Amino acid sequence: MNPASAQPTPGGAPAGSGLAGWIGASGVVVLLLSVTVGVRLWVSSAADRLEHPATEKPKVAIADQAEVSYCTPRFKEVLERVLHSCGLAQDETRRGCKPADVKTFASISDADFNELFTPLKDRGAVILFDEGMQDLDEGAKKLLEDKWYQRKGARYFFVVARASKSGNQSKNRALSHRRANSVMYHLTSIANDPEIEKKVGLLWLGNEFAQLSKEYCGWPSSRTNEKCDEEAINRSAFVSWVDCRL
Amino acid sequence: MLGPNSRLPATLALIGSILGLLFASYSTMDYAEHLDRGLHDVHCSFIPGAPPTSEAEACRAAMYSPYSALFREAMWGGVPISLFALGAFAFLGGFALYLLLANDRASGKAVVFFAAVSVTPLLVSLLMLTLSLTKLGHLCKTCVGIYISSFLLASGGFMGLFTLRGDVGRPRHGLLFPIAWLFALGVITLIPAGVYAASVPDHRPYLTKCGELKQPKMTAGSPLKIHGTRAVRQVLFFEDPLCPTCRAFHDRLLGEGVFERLDVDLVLFPLDNECNWMLDSALHPGACIVSKAVLCGGDRVRQVLEWSYEEQVYLTRAGKAGANVLRAAIKQRWGDELLRCVDDRKTDVLLNQHLHYASDNGIPVSTPQMYLGTRRVCDEDTDLGLRFALSQLAPEVLK
Repeated sequence: MNPASAQPTPGGAPAGSGLAGWIGASGVVVLLLSVTVGVRLWVSSAADRLEHPATEKPKVAIADQAEVSYCTPRFKEVLERVLHSCGLAQDETRRGCKPADVKTFASISDADFNELFTPLKDRGAVILFDEGMQDLDEGAKKLLEDKWYQRKGARYFFVVARASKSGNQSKNRALSHRRANSVMYHLTSIANDPEIEKKVGLLWLGNEFAQLSKEYCGWPSSRTNEKCDEEAINRSAFVSWVDCRL
Repeated sequence: MLGPNSRLPATLALIGSILGLLFASYSTMDYAEHLDRGLHDVHCSFIPGAPPTSEAEACRAAMYSPYSALFREAMWGGVPISLFALGAFAFLGGFALYLLLANDRASGKAVVFFAAVSVTPLLVSLLMLTLSLTKLGHLCKTCVGIYISSFLLASGGFMGLFTLRGDVGRPRHGLLFPIAWLFALGVITLIPAGVYAASVPDHRPYLTKCGELKQPKMTAGSPLKIHGTRAVRQVLFFEDPLCPTCRAFHDRLLGEGVFERLDVDLVLFPLDNECNWMLDSALHPGACIVSKAVLCGGDRVRQVLEWSYEEQVYLTRAGKAGANVLRAAIKQRWGDELLRCVDDRKTDVLLNQHLHYASDNGIPVSTPQMYLGTRRVCDEDTDLGLRFALSQLAPEVLK
């Protein structure tokens, strides 16, 4: 296509018009070729990168449960054993761990067991009971609800119930079991969560394993105005969300 | 007054054509680069040759908009309209060069033809400018570069008509010449687009490779429901009401006419560490509170969500100023009752359930995310490749 292939005027075509036409047409061809080759190169280069990515795509964080610093390997090891042994793992039918289970599965001394829970001081709380009783008073219910609703990214909620040192072993074992169930019952009533059983781990230790020392009187509890001693602090259920991934 | 041998009109037209060619090249280059499904910086400057930048939201928004390309359903990303500009500017540049060199020896028909066709890029530019202002709400600098180039070109073409005054013995062309030139312009305009369309890689194998939900149903709590007026397909969105990309995605779905065809399950995923433990710091401060406002929307969920998108800039500023400023903004727009709901502990629990649904499914910590059934639609298929992906994965929503 030559824009200047004009019919000559009666007086003849002005000199140079034809050349201008050829240059113009060449300009079109050069520009068109340049952009066409450019387009072809850009697309084929992208196609090549698509088929053979030179670098891996930047890694994006993946949504997961929370994990905080107290989740040491030792803590997780015990936690995992307890989870599997106390009915929280998938398709388990049994619920909860009695003292013998904890001793066996945790494979850990009383002191070390309690030490693991020490970092949960601010996350958890101690629900206190009357002697020989398993009923939650209003303060206990309120504290339990507060702690339950402060879930954030945690996956598991632990209830570690104990009984005081008075009385025989089997009675205390049963009492601590009832206390754990009492907490569980209240949680079920407030949570409206069909999967609650997969979230709450129940442990009852009676007066046999990992009893609390008087130091734990300083932890957040449901009865802040009452006298606290080693006897009172073990009439309790320690509750806490645990921010660990397993 | 322009004399018959003035070279100004052709020079102006040539400059306009070359500039238009440059801007259209950058625009096409940016578009083509994204065919690798990656995220790239884009050119967004009035200065041709300025390097690409990540701070180019207006240009990116224009690129992702439904107006930037044709045939988006048939081919991933479609055929960018800048390709037609490339062809047209190449032809008009060459023709302007001819007029410049031929000067008063160019035929009157050539000058008139050029004046007529040189206005076409300007007409398209005016149409795109109107769409940018009315539909997108902002102007992309590269696009503005093309608009200015088109104006220069059209001005040159129009001014050329003034050089026809007085008979200077110009040669005469037959009527076939303008017809042939018009045909050439049409063909040349289509060639770059044809080459592009013929070389675009097949994206179909990549559409289904971005993961699946492990747990499709929420066990605790439930997603929010937004029913499109002509819903035909269930879809799940993870969104953050203060995320600009979510807003752009929402606008795109509305602009494409897709949103009304969707039955949306909305899971809120605010990127704000006040409630979202998956972040060390808040990407969108205040997003937790605004998410709770959406949760409290009841039968006005869609209105609250769209309000948060429309007022996103203001709400983001309020979020940075503090929770009380944000709460006041919510109260002012939606009243006391909704604010009481926002402050209710039960709403914290609902939001927490949404976040746990995200973590139970191990989804990427990013928004927006779209799932058709259990299949995740890749990020790149929610912007440039949206219509193509939908035509492959959910064609009913495009009908």
